[in-house]
Amino acid sequence: MSGTFDGQAPPVEVRDLTVAYGEAPPILEKINFRIRAGEIFGILGGSGSGKSSVLRNVIGLVRPRAGRVFIFGQDLWADDGGHLNDCRRCFGVMYQAGALFGSMNLLENVSMPMREFTDMSAEAIETAARLKLSLVGLSGYEYYMPARISGGMQKRAAIARALALDPGLIFLDEPSAGLDPITSAGLDQLIKTLAKNLGLAFGVVTHELGSVMNIVDRAILLDKEIKGIVAEGDPRELARRSEPPYVAAFFNRQSLEKAKGEGPAEGGSKRRPGRIE
Amino acid sequence: MKDGEGFNLKLEKGRGGLTVHLSGPLTVDVRRAAWEDFPASDGQGQSLLVNLSGLSALDLNGSAQLLSAGAKSGQAGFKVEYGQAPQDLTAIFELAREALERAAAEPPAPVGFFEELGRKIKETQKDLVVLITFAGELMAELLRGFRRPSQIRWNSVLSVAEIAGVNAAPIVSLVSFLVGLIIAFQSAMALSQFGMTIYVADMVGIAVIRELGPLIAAIVLAGRSGSAFSAELGAMKAAEEVDAITTMGLSPVRELALPRVLASILTTPLITMIACFAGVFGGGLVLTAMDFSLLIYWQRAINFVSPATFYICVGKSFLFGLVVAAIGCQRGLAAGDGPGAVGQATTSGVVSNIVAIAVLDSLLAVLFYVWNI
Repeated sequence: MSGTFDGQAPPVEVRDLTVAYGEAPPILEKINFRIRAGEIFGILGGSGSGKSSVLRNVIGLVRPRAGRVFIFGQDLWADDGGHLNDCRRCFGVMYQAGALFGSMNLLENVSMPMREFTDMSAEAIETAARLKLSLVGLSGYEYYMPARISGGMQKRAAIARALALDPGLIFLDEPSAGLDPITSAGLDQLIKTLAKNLGLAFGVVTHELGSVMNIVDRAILLDKEIKGIVAEGDPRELARRSEPPYVAAFFNRQSLEKAKGEGPAEGGSKRRPGRIE
Repeated sequence: MKDGEGFNLKLEKGRGGLTVHLSGPLTVDVRRAAWEDFPASDGQGQSLLVNLSGLSALDLNGSAQLLSAGAKSGQAGFKVEYGQAPQDLTAIFELAREALERAAAEPPAPVGFFEELGRKIKETQKDLVVLITFAGELMAELLRGFRRPSQIRWNSVLSVAEIAGVNAAPIVSLVSFLVGLIIAFQSAMALSQFGMTIYVADMVGIAVIRELGPLIAAIVLAGRSGSAFSAELGAMKAAEEVDAITTMGLSPVRELALPRVLASILTTPLITMIACFAGVFGGGLVLTAMDFSLLIYWQRAINFVSPATFYICVGKSFLFGLVVAAIGCQRGLAAGDGPGAVGQATTSGVVSNIVAIAVLDSLLAVLFYVWNI
């Protein structure tokens, strides 16, 4: 794949990352994980656990309070100059709502990074953009404006744009959010196909268990209580665990109380008044 | 031979046709100049074999460059054939070829001129229906409000009146003052040649009170308050707050638009009066600088303004206040979904408001002329 610094280094390596906003106390402290080449890696966690914040640190939108992020062996924050942008060109990102440019049609959206960063001819850029739209199943929609296509199609087009510079790594922020189960399953299949056929590594931020079980090879689960990673591994294996309770609760869609064995008996309720779990 | 980041292209002429040997990494980094020797003219049915066996790396953009060059050669009359790529690169090349074949099988449908025109006409028609519906609903709510004033949310009206109306007074005064000053200065330059400088007072009085005061107040309010209404209601629409009001069985026009429109109707005449005063005062400053008494200027300016002119000024300001708020609110409530919709609604609100004010003022000028007022 093009745009990678070092073929031997893992696509992502995060060392002792502390995630925080401003002067506020950190959301996550000293977390470590690694995304291997060709794997679909899940960054999981409940609402407010900091998974999107981790993504913003890893893709270079927010400078970590502490720790280092390596993309294909290169320290993302090694200097404040153009190095960061060089690193950013090694990966593609699909944002939660697609983030397609509303004033451009799909072909222009996908072509834009190629026009900016390559010396390919105009015909080759158009061919490459059509190719990528075809790969995500959007042949025939090249001249559609983003507002005219469905949410699922917008996410597919966003993946095509993330593929524009042939990165070896793609990040997906909540790919299933706002999609119906059929569209979501189609998108999962597309991610699996791209990972298999192009050998891409994917970093997927999600809390959709259906998607996780369907596509993710390995995952970390973030917990805001311990401000770190509570479990790491194959999500299907993690789902069989009963300890720690947070892991069991997350993968089995239970309340934390029930996972701790403090849950209400059938027909009864132990929930304290005014407290919503 | 071309060299682009280690990529090489070598053209070989044989009896049966041409052969292009590609070697090195064919990736996104290959520059367009590397393809200059790729045959692209006078094919005349010759065969063109592309030998891929020397490639060391291949990605989708590299494949796209090759297939694009091959397609160009095909159009120039060559029979293009691709040789076998190294084993580890075959899959990606075949993937790219298949994707492009699928794309060719489903050609894109560019939006034609007439389709676009039709869509625009339909959108305009829909827009017009929405606008008329809103105007009707607003009038009904206004009448209902006059019949039962206790049902109007006066707290909201006063709050909007302060933010959108009273707070606009300084900027309206400044603009009007400067316009009055400029008019007086320019006309004094001309009239002083005939010894008629004092008539500047009559001119500024009638121009500012009859036309410019209401106009300046309306345009500044359109840019300041009308746009704020569009943005506020557009953001509420995007956040589904308007839907929430509707599903509660309430009317968004009554709850959201009516307080803003009433506040605007009530404050615009006052703002307009301030604008007129500031404009006339601006003219007075010029004449004072020319050694005329401010008191004489003021008397002439005010005496020249008939009661009818004053009523026209007040009437216009009521109308402009209604139009500015109504259009601002309507654009906000008609905003689409998504983050860009608020910006579009705001722009649309300001543009529509300024056009509406200009058209309305012109129509009124013609009507008053015909009625000899």
